[in-house]
Amino acid sequence: MSDDAVIEMSGVAVANPHGSDVPVVASVDWRVVRGECWVVAGQQGSGKTTVIETAAGLRPASRGEVRLFGEPLPSSAGEAMARLRQRVGFVFQGAGRLFPDLAVAENIALPLRYHRHLTASESAAELRPLMEAFQLERFAHLAPGRIGRAWARRAGLARAMASRPELVLLDNPLEGLDAVHLRWWRGFLAELVHGHPWLGGKPATVVIATDELRPLLGIGTRFATVDGGCWKVLGDRGAVSASDDPAVRELMDERN
Amino acid sequence: MDTVHLPSRSVSLAAVAAVRARAAGATLRRLVAFTLIAIGTLVTKAGKSPQVMRPLMTEQVFRVGVKLVPIVCFLGITLGIVIVGQIVTVLQTVGAVKFTGMLLVTVVIRELAPLVAGLVVLARVGTASVIELATARALGEVEALEALGIDPIHYLVVPRVVGFTVAVATLTAHFVLLALVSGYAFAFARGLPLTLTGYFGDIATALSWADFPLLALKTSLFGAVTGMIICYQGLSQALRLEEVGAATTRTVAQCVVGCLCIDALFVPLYLLL
Repeated sequence: MSDDAVIEMSGVAVANPHGSDVPVVASVDWRVVRGECWVVAGQQGSGKTTVIETAAGLRPASRGEVRLFGEPLPSSAGEAMARLRQRVGFVFQGAGRLFPDLAVAENIALPLRYHRHLTASESAAELRPLMEAFQLERFAHLAPGRIGRAWARRAGLARAMASRPELVLLDNPLEGLDAVHLRWWRGFLAELVHGHPWLGGKPATVVIATDELRPLLGIGTRFATVDGGCWKVLGDRGAVSASDDPAVRELMDERN
Repeated sequence: MDTVHLPSRSVSLAAVAAVRARAAGATLRRLVAFTLIAIGTLVTKAGKSPQVMRPLMTEQVFRVGVKLVPIVCFLGITLGIVIVGQIVTVLQTVGAVKFTGMLLVTVVIRELAPLVAGLVVLARVGTASVIELATARALGEVEALEALGIDPIHYLVVPRVVGFTVAVATLTAHFVLLALVSGYAFAFARGLPLTLTGYFGDIATALSWADFPLLALKTSLFGAVTGMIICYQGLSQALRLEEVGAATTRTVAQCVVGCLCIDALFVPLYLLL
């Protein structure tokens, strides 16, 4: 267990989110090192979301050990877990799971206001560069239901980034985007991996769950798949390109 | 034929009753566990994140309390005429005017007002809150809060329970005041020989100092229990659309039972006064 390990999962059985006793993924052995960008690919319903939610401590593992930043995940949701989660940014699939009773800007500022006790004006001043970089200023005072799904997802990303996390997990971020948004997201992810100004130019540790490997092949540095309840680490880009695994080929060729 | 069917029917009824009792016991255990967690959160996180929590609590107090002032005032006036007016009239008729204060304190202040305030809050805001929380749960907002390191109990439950507690207590005060005044107005309009000072003097005499903290405690408990059951029913499981109706009905039934149980607990205390 070295100091630069961000996620460590050993012998983890990923629990079924729908309550069944049969785990979604039987055994995950995974180590994410600081600065890496992992792409976890799998078909819809394969369990990749549940794997990254388990890694982020949002779901308990039914077996095995999960460590975040070298610390075992606390068994209960207390202050220790809350502190750990503030170091992690999680971007949900779809419309970003924004809170419908808060405006877009309030959604993004919520973690800062809750954890750092900033006033509305203080948080707005601090988040201005992020809002500008994400082109969200014009939606700031709108309710999430009044903006498009792609913009809502971007706002969800901004909310996850607000507290300058060390680890960013994204669930299917490129799903269903038009060309303009797709280009923005790919540019953002590349910048995140190499060092985003919002994070002080330091490369972030990134995990991306996806059902399409090809758009992320140039961004990810390490790759894994979830297929038929099995976790498989593929390796780097070369290993993915060279893989003759039919599941990997299918994920590469999807919608190609 | 009856002799053949009756035993099996009684056995099946007993079995159904046993299953229902076990289910009710399990629900009660989960509700108590939820309540203990919420109380723990309320105590340990008191004063945490005031920039976020104060507006949430204010919003709930406004939504559950302030917005219901008109309907509670209306009920206070009408029930004051119907109940207080009739009590005063009947007592005058049978020559038992000296019991006016005692009866009004027992019926209106101790019993009717807390129940009416609790039921109005439950009907007007409680059922909507169950749907709101169940939808939040189904749409993954609870996980979104957890992902941000925000305790969902602190963010979603505490403001609602505080809002319901404050609202039921203050709405009860509004109801009491208006019911007593409108009851007197009704009696006055009917030409009953009752002076304002005599009427309120009787009530003041019948009231004990302990009535004030007991009423505050009782109404606060009504609000807290109602808020807790609503939050539990809304958040305990992700509801599908077709389950929402059953969940709201369950909530109403459990809140009424909860409030009546609390009411029953206060009876011995009142008898001591």
